[in-house]
Amino acid sequence: MTDLPLPEFTVTVLHEDTTLAVCVGGELDHDTSAGLVDTVVQHLTAEPVRLSDVRLDFRDLTWIDSTGLSALLMIHRRTTAVGATLHLDRRPDFLDRRLRLTNVLDHLTAQASRADPHGHRENDGCTGAGAT
Amino acid sequence: MRYAPCVPPFVTASPGISARPPDAGHLVGATWTEAPYPVLIVDRYGGLVEINEAARALLPGAASGDRLHEQVPSWLADAHQRVSGGQRGSSAGPLSGPIKGRHYEAHPTAAGDGDVVWWLVDDTDRRLAETALSDARTRTEILSDVSSTLLSTLNVSRCMEVAASLAAEHLADAAVLVAPRQGRRRPLAYANRGGPVSQVTRQVDVAGVPGLAEALQGFPPVPARWIDPVGLPDWVVPDGFAGPVGSVIVAPLPGHGVSAGALVLLRSSAEQCFTDGEEVFARLFAARAGTALSAARLYGEQANVTATLMRELLPPRLSSVHGVDYAGGYRAAKDHERVGGDFYDVHPGSDPSQDTLVVLGDVAGKGLDAAVLTGKIRNTLHALLPLTDDHQRVLNLLNGALLTSHHTRFATLVLASVRRRGTRARVRLTSAGHLPPLIVRADGKVEESATRGTLVGALPTVTANTVETTLAPGETCLLYTDGITEARGGPLGDELFGEHRLQRALSECAGLPAEAVVERVRMLASQWIGGGRHDDMAAVAVSVPRTGPLTVLNGTGARSSRRNT
Amino acid sequence: MSPSDATAELSDRLWQAVADGDEHRAAGLVHQAAADGMEEERLLLDVIAPVQEKVGLEWAADRITVAQEHAATAINERIVASLAHRRPTREPRTPRQGRVTVSCIDGEWHAFPARLVSEVLVLRGWQVDYLGAQTPTPHLVAHLHHTDPDAILLSGSISTHLPAAHAAITACQALGVPVLAGGRAFGRDGRHARALGADRWAADARGAAAVLQAGLERPGPATIRQVADDLPHLADQEYTMVVLSRPQLVKQTLSDLESRFPAMRAYTDAQRERTAEDIAHIIDFLATALYVDDPDVFTEFLTWTADILEARHVPAHSVVTGLEALADQLREFPRTVDLLQAGGAVLCDRPTRPVPDPDIHA
Repeated sequence: MTDLPLPEFTVTVLHEDTTLAVCVGGELDHDTSAGLVDTVVQHLTAEPVRLSDVRLDFRDLTWIDSTGLSALLMIHRRTTAVGATLHLDRRPDFLDRRLRLTNVLDHLTAQASRADPHGHRENDGCTGAGAT
Repeated sequence: MRYAPCVPPFVTASPGISARPPDAGHLVGATWTEAPYPVLIVDRYGGLVEINEAARALLPGAASGDRLHEQVPSWLADAHQRVSGGQRGSSAGPLSGPIKGRHYEAHPTAAGDGDVVWWLVDDTDRRLAETALSDARTRTEILSDVSSTLLSTLNVSRCMEVAASLAAEHLADAAVLVAPRQGRRRPLAYANRGGPVSQVTRQVDVAGVPGLAEALQGFPPVPARWIDPVGLPDWVVPDGFAGPVGSVIVAPLPGHGVSAGALVLLRSSAEQCFTDGEEVFARLFAARAGTALSAARLYGEQANVTATLMRELLPPRLSSVHGVDYAGGYRAAKDHERVGGDFYDVHPGSDPSQDTLVVLGDVAGKGLDAAVLTGKIRNTLHALLPLTDDHQRVLNLLNGALLTSHHTRFATLVLASVRRRGTRARVRLTSAGHLPPLIVRADGKVEESATRGTLVGALPTVTANTVETTLAPGETCLLYTDGITEARGGPLGDELFGEHRLQRALSECAGLPAEAVVERVRMLASQWIGGGRHDDMAAVAVSVPRTGPLTVLNGTGARSSRRNT
Repeated sequence: MSPSDATAELSDRLWQAVADGDEHRAAGLVHQAAADGMEEERLLLDVIAPVQEKVGLEWAADRITVAQEHAATAINERIVASLAHRRPTREPRTPRQGRVTVSCIDGEWHAFPARLVSEVLVLRGWQVDYLGAQTPTPHLVAHLHHTDPDAILLSGSISTHLPAAHAAITACQALGVPVLAGGRAFGRDGRHARALGADRWAADARGAAAVLQAGLERPGPATIRQVADDLPHLADQEYTMVVLSRPQLVKQTLSDLESRFPAMRAYTDAQRERTAEDIAHIIDFLATALYVDDPDVFTEFLTWTADILEARHVPAHSVVTGLEALADQLREFPRTVDLLQAGGAVLCDRPTRPVPDPDIHA
């Protein structure tokens, strides 16, 4: 009958050597997705060291909707563009189900090609013929 | 704001003093003879005993010994009769009335021997002030009434009707509201006081009414006294207007930066001409009416634009095609919106031997942004219809068309190609990252189709597998979006509706027509949500109509099926 | 055979066809009667409407399933649509009346009564915009701005939609559109329609047509108000509290019932959920009774529920225990406690009746 109070959405960023670790908690949805993308992209571009890995930790994630998944695809694009590999760690069941249903799990966690820092030609998904 | 009665205190202190001539004047002395108020001493028979200087100035011919009723208006003479007859108490409140063009309050005081001393207090100016104040208040009330009545509607025609009717009621004998041109013609609203408003749209010559063309262009108003009512064209006088027009006001209706039209007020020659004050008031009225009309017109234009753009995005109405029933249901995430990120279409095969293509999908995101992308997908798929023998090829082409470097907004969808064969229907199903369709068998068993595939619009390549199944009469294939299974609510307030509950509900829908299945699913999901937030929800049922009667009558209603409220 | 016998007989045959799920036969009966000259209004109101009523009755008595109820309703709706389709378009029927909007209350799924009223009004020469079931109030308001009808007919079958109806009534009136309320939700005598400030109430389709014929005055600016202005008792916040705490009340009542009926602990998830739904329904009707300040809303629902349960061989005494558990949680709210006690008393006093009261279920 009423809107329930929503759990707080949190993003915690840890940086260690060439790995960026991001803890995502709460609901990743229409309202919160843009914030996560912005945070990750900021760190990707601000780090003086070239990152080899970006680890998203979903231990405290309580929900993800289609916009949240769209955000993960964007983060993957940006991560691959700098030659880093994306890892989706400690995925709750609902996240795993959504990734498998949409058949993007393998794509999102594929090893980035370290040899080619512009490796996104192969893997970023934005090179299709119909790109606008 | 009533003034306190201005009775000098010494008058009330004089009841014991005889006013009988010749001493009366001497006894009361200079105090009253020189008072600035007219004072009359009148005996019980209505004869003037004595009057003071101020009274002589007011009633130049009056002298002692005159009859009172010959000198003063009857209201005062009658009041004297009542007072000297001892009926003072019966006429409560101050006595007052006009004398020689001014207005007076009369205060009587007994002076002994039945004489009455009348003090007359001039309250003309106070009364004028009070009238003006009350007029101003009435007008403020009218204006506020006008504003709230007009602003309550955003319908232009209703707004015109109300404005014309209020203008005729408060400002004139009749009012004509002339709206801005629509093509060659103008909407017009006519109102006679107390009568119904009639509205027409027609071509009229506004130049025939002095000041009207200017008012419609937003120029300053032409004063009423410049407008000769004799030359008015017929179109501006409402049917049933009583008598020739005596005076006219043309008031512009200022809109938000542009003219919202003009108001023509008419008064018959039997009435007084419009005063300057009335003219000013008419302009205040027109300013409010203009604001309301502009708001209504703006709303109407926006609503039309939205409706036009939306028409393409609204879900289609489904029916039977080539012996197979189709039914769809849609609910946008926000109740004030009609479109969102879910979509469906049924493209009938050109003849019964051709496949009918059903598409149901979901774009990441909500609201108009998402709806625009659904429009693109629906158009693209429409263009790809000749290729739908091969679902995977269609999905690859669609994926290519949607890919962009700007964002990763993707869509998931299901394609279903349906063709009737004899009593059954063959259905080919392909999911592109979407929830697999559910098939409700005639015996109530619910199967999940085994198709899986990649979402479209975000990855360079997509894959999917197509499965084929057959629907017997009374069997249904349900395509649905996750807004239904992810509806949150239920009796405990925070649970997902879930696929399990959906399948349970569907198992009770064996043999039902497609519409009834969709309605049942929508109803259960909506009731699960209650008043809570939700995502877009869509469902399409594909059914082969049953031929014989339902076989499960009588006594099989389990307790599990008892909620339909 | 008298005309009323003829309609009753036809109605019985139509019921058989609808109950069999035989749309073809059902439609054939109705169209044949129309071809034989039976007036369409009589077909709608004296033949089809009683069949729809019987659908509800049979369900309540557990003689058809809820799915069959949906199927029968779908057939009835299609028959009504086909009758409308059969009418020649732009026939110079009766002289044109005004324009009206017919809509269900936001959240109301029982659209059939509204559909019948719409068709009857069309037959009587009105221009009707039929918005149907589940019309969000914002859509209704936008529609009224767009079309400016002479009146809006607001239909409701289930009384738990009364608070939503109230919001719609005040919104429509604020636009200067008079509201004619109808349907069982507003009470058999229309008392809830009056309490919520509707301009008029009609008992049935013919009554609604008569009210419109007589004309409805447009509400003036003085009718613009907050919903609470109509119902000063809402100031005690009991309605608000019960609605806001619904999920907690359901959870607590479930666990109280489990401790009193140990057998419940063996319930399957599905059974538990149905019990939770029952409790939630009781709370919804309790809240509605608080809203309109009328205990009958609550007691009639409980009587009906008990009938339904007994028709399915489920003892109704657990409902009484549920009410006690609720009263225990809501003891600080006097109006609520009175309602719960009245509800318990009605259930304890009620005679066992074999046939459920059809009047409450739409």
